[in-house]
Amino acid sequence: MFDFAALVANENMKIFRRVRSWIMLGLLVLLTAAISIIASVTASSTIKMWDMTSMELMILIPLANIFCVIIAADIVASEFTNGTIKLLLIRPWTRSKVLLSKYVSLLIFVLITLAVVYVSTLLINSLVFGYEGGVMAQQVFGVLDPGMSAWSYMNQYFLLQLVSFIVTVTLAFMISAVFRSSALAIGLSLFIVLMSEVLSQLFSLVNKPWVDYVLFQHLNLTKYLRMDAALGGSNQDMMTLGFSLAVLAGYYIVFMALSWFVFTKRDVAA
Amino acid sequence: MSNLSQPIVQIKEVTKRIGSKTIIDNLSLDLPQGEVFGFLGPNGSGKTTTIRMMVGLMRMSKGDIIIGGSSIRTDYEKAIRHVGAIVENPEMYKYLTGYKNLLHYARMVPGISRNRIDEVIGLAGLDKRIDDKVKTYSLGMRQRLGVAQALLHKPSLLILDEPTNGLDPAGIRELRDYLRRLAAEEGTTVFVSSHLLSEMELMCDQVAIIQAGKLIDLRSLRPGGGASVGGTGLPAQVLFEVDQPDEAARVLQETIRTPDGVPVRLQVRAGEGAIVLDALRDDIAELNALLVAGGIRVYAIRSLSKSLEDQFLEVTGGESVV
Ligand SMILES: Nc1ncnc2c1ncn2[C@@H]1O[C@H](COP(=O)(O)OP(=O)(O)OP(=O)(O)O)[C@@H](O)[C@H]1O
Ligand SMILES: [Mg+2]
Repeated sequence: MFDFAALVANENMKIFRRVRSWIMLGLLVLLTAAISIIASVTASSTIKMWDMTSMELMILIPLANIFCVIIAADIVASEFTNGTIKLLLIRPWTRSKVLLSKYVSLLIFVLITLAVVYVSTLLINSLVFGYEGGVMAQQVFGVLDPGMSAWSYMNQYFLLQLVSFIVTVTLAFMISAVFRSSALAIGLSLFIVLMSEVLSQLFSLVNKPWVDYVLFQHLNLTKYLRMDAALGGSNQDMMTLGFSLAVLAGYYIVFMALSWFVFTKRDVAA
Repeated sequence: MSNLSQPIVQIKEVTKRIGSKTIIDNLSLDLPQGEVFGFLGPNGSGKTTTIRMMVGLMRMSKGDIIIGGSSIRTDYEKAIRHVGAIVENPEMYKYLTGYKNLLHYARMVPGISRNRIDEVIGLAGLDKRIDDKVKTYSLGMRQRLGVAQALLHKPSLLILDEPTNGLDPAGIRELRDYLRRLAAEEGTTVFVSSHLLSEMELMCDQVAIIQAGKLIDLRSLRPGGGASVGGTGLPAQVLFEVDQPDEAARVLQETIRTPDGVPVRLQVRAGEGAIVLDALRDDIAELNALLVAGGIRVYAIRSLSKSLEDQFLEVTGGESVV
């Protein structure tokens, strides 16, 4: 097991020794700081820390998702594109373990990215606008449940975002393993992630039962936080968080199985 | 050096088909331990494909490859432990320094110390540039880094696909001397593919020649593999024109053994009514006497001494890409 940690350390090294990764993380922090500072300087009325956080998350989360998807789409394909896969695979490790080490280090990157967003939005806004305690989620995030605190909402929000991030990066990871070309994998994955909102709306127009099983209808999990018990219980037609999670789990298994199958079975001709 | 008679690599009737194309056709080859073994063939003959199968990058359609007693097919992790390799171009992580690249591969095999990393850096002559990013390296420097990475875990089998590609004459010479030393002193088997035939001649104990995926020739370039009745000098190929080539072959193989007791390796050219074998100049008269004593009529004796390049062109028919 200790040895496997060395493989993950290698993958982390390959992510974090590239300027790209630092630019991504730096950009998330800088953007937060820039928006908060510009708002505090130019706004006429006083802005509250939680309101600003809520607003910034709408920009930062999609951006963070794009960054994670880029890393995921590149992590396998770049080894093929650059030809380094040959020297990577001819070691006393099965292909499965090599792929797993890549996947683990990708998840570490996703965790770090979300942590950066979490910490930087809360910290920067507290510094710029002053920390405000005892705020309820109903006031700032438009949650119906009056008993939920802003902190509790933040934590649940990030947890659900983590779930949808994992699904999208796993999709990109699969595309990466299947297509073996960085440019194609990044392009295709980004296209899917960027279009997911639009596609979701398009699909919701379709009045067929299978639409409920389309991936794009379930990537926005945080909407369940906002509707909650008050509304969700009364509306029979409404999908539940449990249903969405089950559908995502189904896709997740398919993505993983395909990535593993393709990576371990196919000849390396790079 | 352990048991020399046990080949470190056994390639057993390996066939590779991609689509309807047969790229490697029923190839069998044993690599003895501690030899520098050359792998020659024109462009597209299947050298790289064979090497890819040896290191598990490609699956065989048929057959098996045993390295150090373990099958690359069913016992990959164990078999590959014996192997250090460069496959085609030495691609490295360009955004990492040379040192980080070596560290990366060192971490993948337990028990490689920092000292060993420094040692291979010294061997590859990269001391001055090892902390520079690989994207600033020249082709030859990347090739050196490729060799360094292959040597890290002191493999008992070193597979090098065109390792001299991009090296300067001094670098080629250094590599050649180093590979010979590795084979002689540490008993490492070196399997090199190359287009530089004159290089192979200087470096290899044995060469296998493949064409269109088939093994077409296997020959020894060192004294000992050919006939030796005690003469001196370097062996050269000699052709005996005789009346019964098969009978002549039988006579010689019965009487002449190499020092390890293997019957002399010779080639029967029934069409030309001749047999060909490696022999020292002093032995030619001896061989002739043996044939005559065995009731064979000898019409002519010719030396076929040629450079490997000529031989290569001869056996491959001088074709370019297949
Ligand atoms: N992935 C592939 N799909 C189809 N054919 C392939 C593939 N890889 C190699 N080939 C074919 O297999 C044959 C052998 O190729 P290989 O690269 O092994 O040759 P080589 O002996 O290494 O040549 P060179 O001296 O040019 O390096 C060629 O005819 C090539 O076109
Ligand atoms: Mg080749």
